[in-house]
Amino acid sequence: MSDWSQAKRPIPVPDQWTQPFWDSAKREALKLQRCQDCGHFQHPPYPTCVNCMSIDMKFEPVGGAGHIYAYTIMYHDGDKRFAGAIPYASIIVELDDAPGALMAGNLLDAPYTEAKVGRRVEMIFERLNDDITLPQFRLADTDPTE
Amino acid sequence: MWENRCKVAISGVGYSTVSRSADIPLAAHALEAVKGAVADSGLEMSDIDGLSTYPELPATGHAEVDGISVVSVNCMMAMLKLPNLTWHIQVGTANIGGAVQQATNALLAGVCKYVVVWRAMHNPKGTYQNLPGAHAHGAAQFTAPFGFGGPGQGMAVAYTRWLERHNQDREKMATLAVTQRRHTQHNPHAYFHGTPLTKEDYLASRMVAYPFCLFDCDIPVQGAVAVVMTLADRAEDLKPKPAYLAGYGQRLHFETAGRIGSLSSYMEGGSSSSQLTWERSGFSPKDVDVAQIYDGFSASVIYGLESYGFCGEGEALDFIQDGRMELDGELPLNTFGGSLGTGRIHGLWHIIEGALQASGRAGSRQVKNANVSFVGASAPIVTGTTFIFVGDPY
Ligand SMILES: [Zn+2]
Repeated sequence: MSDWSQAKRPIPVPDQWTQPFWDSAKREALKLQRCQDCGHFQHPPYPTCVNCMSIDMKFEPVGGAGHIYAYTIMYHDGDKRFAGAIPYASIIVELDDAPGALMAGNLLDAPYTEAKVGRRVEMIFERLNDDITLPQFRLADTDPTE
Repeated sequence: MWENRCKVAISGVGYSTVSRSADIPLAAHALEAVKGAVADSGLEMSDIDGLSTYPELPATGHAEVDGISVVSVNCMMAMLKLPNLTWHIQVGTANIGGAVQQATNALLAGVCKYVVVWRAMHNPKGTYQNLPGAHAHGAAQFTAPFGFGGPGQGMAVAYTRWLERHNQDREKMATLAVTQRRHTQHNPHAYFHGTPLTKEDYLASRMVAYPFCLFDCDIPVQGAVAVVMTLADRAEDLKPKPAYLAGYGQRLHFETAGRIGSLSSYMEGGSSSSQLTWERSGFSPKDVDVAQIYDGFSASVIYGLESYGFCGEGEALDFIQDGRMELDGELPLNTFGGSLGTGRIHGLWHIIEGALQASGRAGSRQVKNANVSFVGASAPIVTGTTFIFVGDPY
């Protein structure tokens, strides 16, 4: 298991356009950016819909179920903020509700060797301070790939 | 086909010493490489009337100081004081391949006669990706809090997806690392010249960002390389045999900032760029005699081989086996050692080798009867440019 208590995670600094994402994470009910014209979800947020060029974008709720789209296990201590946590799994998750939107996170509450492409995960929330809560992931209780 | 095929050529090439640490300022490396390229062409410095580069320092968290950590066009102008200078550019979107392409366009437009293109790379003291910040701004607010600190991890996530979706084995990559290191022994300018690498070394090496071990990553170095480009008829009057530019392309796809891990974006970047190069040159992958494919991280070669059309998706690690990438193989690959052999100088060295192989000037690593010489000069997603050079104009 990675010792996440040793990680000094940099605190996200929301801007005008990303604030709704972080507000929803703080309420532990995540919202992702969605095009109001074509319905396309995208993450990270972008000024326009990259599917249809619409500028009518809002943040809408998504469920926390998804799968590991890709991952890496970090062994290098070059990023000193995370040196105490190596090795650790940094993962990319595609949520069932938002295909194509790719969220970065960590695989928590499991050995880093459990990270595999396609494994089912569910969103959990990691509070960093009064303002910022990170959406994170753990293995789903039932894993249909097994 | 492109009406301008074989109208522009690479003539001379030049190298600085390549060292692990910055014992002399980067500008001195760049100057040495530029002087070398001009001398190799048999030109005088005063003949040079065009300057082109991509100066960026890929290491984050370090100051960009002109002449020390980057070498801009302004820096080069101040050093060379060229009496006949008529044109210069620094490119942004297409890395050093874009600098070569813009030089091509300027030569075809007739606004200069002899362009020098250089790439100078600095190795900062301390950790390469210097990430001390307690906060994450911009696109990094969605990646840095999860320990995605550097470009290696962005490449690594796409690589796990490739490996596991195609049921492939990272140990097969040893063939790339070991074969390229063997090629490196024919390149006296390379950082790892004189240092062999075995399959056992590769398999035993420490992990950096799984699936990348140490030998999947090019080593940061301090150094520079340069080329002289001119119109073909002028190149034919110069000392070296010209390498004729048959076609080029740029990637026409870009991922939104901060979205990492998508394999399809690598493939779309590479295929869009190579499609232009195939169409303009009139060649196809089966015509290629020798290939240089950017290998800052080893997996870039996979995305290159597949997106450029040398093999099918999921096949690249099998494609490089059984001697296919050897100097006498079916597709001799990264014959100068690649970035894994030379050290991190970005793609201009791939372009140099493409030109040398096309013109028969590659010395003991020359591929026999090489004519059609392909170059993928940077990672397909980020800044992927592609080129074909030939020795016989058509
Ligand atoms: Zn839309």
